[in-house]
Amino acid sequence: MAPTQDPNSVGGGAKQDEASLKVPSKDPKKKDEKKEEDLSEEDLELKQNLELYVERVQDPNPELQKAALESMRQEIRASTSSMTSVPKPLKFLRPHYGILKAFHVTMADSDLKKYLSDILSVLALTMSAEGERESLGYRLIGTEGDIGSWGHEYVRNLAGEIAQEYTKRQSEEAPIDDLMELVQQIVAFHMKHNAETEAVDLLMDVEDLDLLLEHVDKTNFKRTCNYLTSAAKYLPGPDDMLVLDISYMIYMKFEEYPNALQIALFLDNTQYVKQVFTSCADLLRKKQFCYMIARHGITFDLDDEMVADEDDREALQDIVNNTKLSEGYLTLARDIEVMEAKTPEDIYKAHLLDGRASSGASVDSARQNLAATFVNAFVNAGFGQDKLMTVPSDSTTGSSGNWLFKNKEHGKTSAAASLGMIQLWDVDSGLSQLDKYFHSNDNPIIAGALLGVGIVNCGIKNDCDPALALLGDYIDKEDSSVRIGAIMGLGISYAGSQNDQIRSKLSPILNDAKAPLDVIAFASLSLGMIYVGSCNEEVAQSIIFALMDRSEAELGDALTRFLPLGLGLLYLGKQESVEATAEVSKTFNEKIRKYCDMTLLSCAYAGTGNVLKVQDLLAQCGEHLEKGDIHQGPAVLGLAMVAMSEELGIDMEIRSLERMLQYGEQNIRRAVPLALGLLCISNPKVTVMDTLSRLSHDTDSEVAMAAVISLGLIGAGTNNARIAGMLRNLSSYYYKDASLLFCVRIAQGLVHMGKGLLTLSPFHSERFLLSPTALAGIVTLLHACLDMKPIILGKYHYVLYFLVLAMQPRMMLTVDENLKPLSVPVRVGQAVDVVGQAGRPKTITGFQTHSTPVLLAAGERAELATDKYIPLSPILEGFIILKENPDYREE
Amino acid sequence: MPTVSVKWQKKVFDGIEIDITLPAYVFKAQLYDLTGVPPERQKIMVKGGLLKDDADWSAIGVKDGQKLMMMGTADEIVKAPEKAIVFAEDLPEEALATNLGYSAGLVNLGNTCYMNSTVQCLKSVPELKSALSNYSLAARSTDVDQTSHMLTVATRELFGELDRSVNAVSPTQFWMVLRKKYPQFSQLQNGIYMQQDAEECWTQLLYTLSQSLKAPTSSEDPDAVKALFGVNLRSRLHCQESGEESSETESVYSLKCHISHEVNHLHEGLKHGLKGELEKTSPTLGRTALYLKDSLIDSLPRYLTVQFVRFFWKRETNQKAKILRKVDYPLELDIFDLCSEDLRKKLEAPRQKLRDEEGKKLGLQTSAKSGSKDSDVKMTDAEASSNGSGESSTVNQQEGASSGKETHMTGIYDLVAVLTHKGRSADSGHYVAWVKQESGKWIQYDDDNPSMQREEDITKLSGGGDWHMAYIIMYKARFVSM
Repeated sequence: MAPTQDPNSVGGGAKQDEASLKVPSKDPKKKDEKKEEDLSEEDLELKQNLELYVERVQDPNPELQKAALESMRQEIRASTSSMTSVPKPLKFLRPHYGILKAFHVTMADSDLKKYLSDILSVLALTMSAEGERESLGYRLIGTEGDIGSWGHEYVRNLAGEIAQEYTKRQSEEAPIDDLMELVQQIVAFHMKHNAETEAVDLLMDVEDLDLLLEHVDKTNFKRTCNYLTSAAKYLPGPDDMLVLDISYMIYMKFEEYPNALQIALFLDNTQYVKQVFTSCADLLRKKQFCYMIARHGITFDLDDEMVADEDDREALQDIVNNTKLSEGYLTLARDIEVMEAKTPEDIYKAHLLDGRASSGASVDSARQNLAATFVNAFVNAGFGQDKLMTVPSDSTTGSSGNWLFKNKEHGKTSAAASLGMIQLWDVDSGLSQLDKYFHSNDNPIIAGALLGVGIVNCGIKNDCDPALALLGDYIDKEDSSVRIGAIMGLGISYAGSQNDQIRSKLSPILNDAKAPLDVIAFASLSLGMIYVGSCNEEVAQSIIFALMDRSEAELGDALTRFLPLGLGLLYLGKQESVEATAEVSKTFNEKIRKYCDMTLLSCAYAGTGNVLKVQDLLAQCGEHLEKGDIHQGPAVLGLAMVAMSEELGIDMEIRSLERMLQYGEQNIRRAVPLALGLLCISNPKVTVMDTLSRLSHDTDSEVAMAAVISLGLIGAGTNNARIAGMLRNLSSYYYKDASLLFCVRIAQGLVHMGKGLLTLSPFHSERFLLSPTALAGIVTLLHACLDMKPIILGKYHYVLYFLVLAMQPRMMLTVDENLKPLSVPVRVGQAVDVVGQAGRPKTITGFQTHSTPVLLAAGERAELATDKYIPLSPILEGFIILKENPDYREE
Repeated sequence: MPTVSVKWQKKVFDGIEIDITLPAYVFKAQLYDLTGVPPERQKIMVKGGLLKDDADWSAIGVKDGQKLMMMGTADEIVKAPEKAIVFAEDLPEEALATNLGYSAGLVNLGNTCYMNSTVQCLKSVPELKSALSNYSLAARSTDVDQTSHMLTVATRELFGELDRSVNAVSPTQFWMVLRKKYPQFSQLQNGIYMQQDAEECWTQLLYTLSQSLKAPTSSEDPDAVKALFGVNLRSRLHCQESGEESSETESVYSLKCHISHEVNHLHEGLKHGLKGELEKTSPTLGRTALYLKDSLIDSLPRYLTVQFVRFFWKRETNQKAKILRKVDYPLELDIFDLCSEDLRKKLEAPRQKLRDEEGKKLGLQTSAKSGSKDSDVKMTDAEASSNGSGESSTVNQQEGASSGKETHMTGIYDLVAVLTHKGRSADSGHYVAWVKQESGKWIQYDDDNPSMQREEDITKLSGGGDWHMAYIIMYKARFVSM
């Protein structure tokens, strides 16, 4: 049977196995005794009849033969239609299979022989030896026609044999036309009888999915596509693309545009996205598409082909540009009543820790203030108000200035930039608030202001391009901190935009012999972000040259790791496209060669779940190296990046990471917590939480630091009480260790990010789509965390702001046709995997009813609890436009 | 002439006319009228760049109805505070020490934890520190020998060094002097110095200090140490055989808490310790007879030291064996019923006052704070008030309970230091000091490693297992001002 041989079909396979197992298991117990002695009269008669038929078949008289075959056929068909047990006629005919077979050989070609072939084919279902494929053999020489009449079980068996035969013939390069004929019939049969999964399996086996298009109809296309898309995750390339292509076409055929768009986005196929727009005539639905594109975070320009009317186009482009994100987020915040700004102390909750908490030192610690700056920025992100940076500055104390100056030197950069984080997505007021810092004569503050502008504009596009206008002039300033501020700001605000104007500004820096290493490193990163997943040749060339120009000493610097990372980001998720560049990287200085290799590999296969790459990376981690080699860090991160795409892979990866903790060298152990953090980002699984909690007390302080940061990552934006408690205890445990305490504070800020309204997960739309910019932001931070001391604990702590790329409200906000928020009841519950299930199974379990806007936690799904409205997208996440249901009647 | 709309903050100004023949500065002046933002602070964004003051409109190619965006505020520009902010990271080590909230640890010089913990406990007495700082060679009385003098000076130096330093201090000098003065501490075993009984160290050190800090010249402070630690006991001797009674007074530096099978709590142990039997020649009987001795406290010290008599000489093993029995002690000790009649009378009024004050505080706070928190608050508040009063009255307060002064003893004491022992005999195991800081936080001084502890963990040092158990504890008197 097809599913058992195809390990890739998960949902359908299990179910079918069950069905086929039932048949033999029921049989022997009940029937054994009966068989010999007490056959009922009916059965006895049937048996005798069949025996008679068998004899008559061998009769030379063709008339008699025919009559016998007809009767036999009647008997078999009549009984196979029920599936409860092994059909009796089959059972009674078993002993005669050999006789009939022998007789069949002697027969001359005739209709009668075909009839007999049919019957033998059915009998072979139970009799044929393993691998003989007799059933198929007889089928092919039998009568052409309705195979469904022989019953489901027979068709299934046939499908399985076809798959085997197909592979055999492929290897022999034999013709397959006759098989395909049969496949046609079988697929048609399956599709008509709620067995879409089996049809898909068969077609995948015979590599002819196009056939599906002819056979799907309104009733079964959803289940078919559902099965196809979820099977795609487990298929090797390029089959997965093919499968998704088919399901895109099916969705398009049935005008299920949101799903089609989802697949188009997954395939990163702009042509398809366009097609969705041009095929759909409804403006409101197009608006919904725009929301989906905006959530995915790609830059997309609508043209007049997609939307004819100019005003409409502008309105739609506004949605794609995410201009309303801030508004929607604040609506959510007001509804949940969390507008009140929180101070870092509200997060630390030191009063819950008696005795041990540091005795309120009278002198400011720059490190602790910096931590408070970040906590404040993360917690109040996007709310537009806080209690440190935006408090109205009165002339006497100038309190807003005050907090800024409570940070030391480079700390002021992060402090000024934190204002951008607080005003996140609100470009208008954000820019006006940051303005005052532009007039400062303190370079770190200017740098912070520039970075802040970048952060405010993260994911938001504006016609006036304020970020480029403001930052452009600062890229070539004298002071390198100002340059970095501007470069990083551009990278964050234009991530994924592939903006040529910026490239022409940044590329020269890479190959400027006079530019300091840190400026080059950040320029490379920013270019990587702007051209994330674009495979842009020119950018790649610039970075490669920059890498080759580095001196031996510079290659040892921790910041150098951003160069290969920038290169890797260009190929994020692009699989084979990386190969040419990977070849070039083999010529690099050996200090960076392996690091580059691992980074490229892990980025290129990020989110693909490619098992072979996981094995490659595991092999790298298995080596025990001399001290000083750093490439195993990115290899461990790479494991998580590749495996993070689906639940099964995540679970397996968590287990193999556990193994590495036990047997790996120290440099691997240091990366393991970070990998765990990536796998479960914003998804606090209890087992991972426990592992990290254990590691946070590790004797190696770098392992402990990584574990602490990862605790923050897995709990990011969840307000998870357990992690919060763990971190609180850690803060008292490490009260004397300034570095670890800093990490604990950052983690605390992450857990309460956006007061619990945000998520860092790069996956959205029911974990189907992976936002490349979001992943780029997280991966950059993790690479920085591989060597904490010189970067995050040094003067480049602002790399923490790269997380802003992944920050998204974890909300579902329903809006009416005028895009005004509309509160409707929804059920929110744990999502259930319904792939391959027949009928209309429940998609959520253990739900609660709320009214929108609502928060969605990891693994949760929402569904409308009212029939009054119809959502324009089946995936209820983010902004959802509701249309009034014309058929709705008030009760 | 094209008209444009300008977006500034959340406002949009529609229909602004641009005269393309004039430089952009004129346009900025127009916006100044509308927004109040001075032209030099305006940033106007036109496609991919900022609008320069002298820019030529025709080169920019502004279109009719185009939207421009302006950034800029008339707000005050941020200025660095005039007084630069000092960061902990920049401070020298000494300055950091005062910020830490507790002083440094002491390096173990080889089985010197008994000494380290004793020093840490005694250092927590500020009055002793100030008395030591007043000590000078000139002032020393003639009857103090050289070694005592040296030990006193070494103590003073060590206390000073501990307060200044962040990292652990090595008490080499102090130790040498201590061994010189008390050669019993130089006992060697297998070539290394032996572990000693902390109680012995404590007693000897206090004795030396009391001798050297006796200032015969100044009348107001005859015996600083005695004023701080001395307990006057009035004992009544009663002979059951003859029925005769006598009374005597004595002064001790610590009360003993005897541990027997009935003793579960410090209070019982103290009571037990104040009763005794002794054999003495009876003048009436003309032979030795059994006397019952019944002691009561006659005057209270500022610091009440209690020693748990955990060690006894075990003849079989020829060493000081330890009683592991759990004896609870409170954070707040009331010894009213151990006082003599006279003293009790003196204490009554201050105690009443104290109760009133606490009642008042509680009354004010009952609604604000919940159950368990209450006692903590009360404690720290009371602590603060007693600290305050302690400062107002000078160190030379002779008898705490003597009338006429502003502050009065109440017979209530707060726990301030615990010296614990871990191990099975006095000459082995490990001594650790647990000291309450002025900030109210408890610090565990385990040789060179001080660490914060929670108050509820301090009361868990009461024994009954192999964990650290209290050996010597020190209480500080609570005063009330009247």
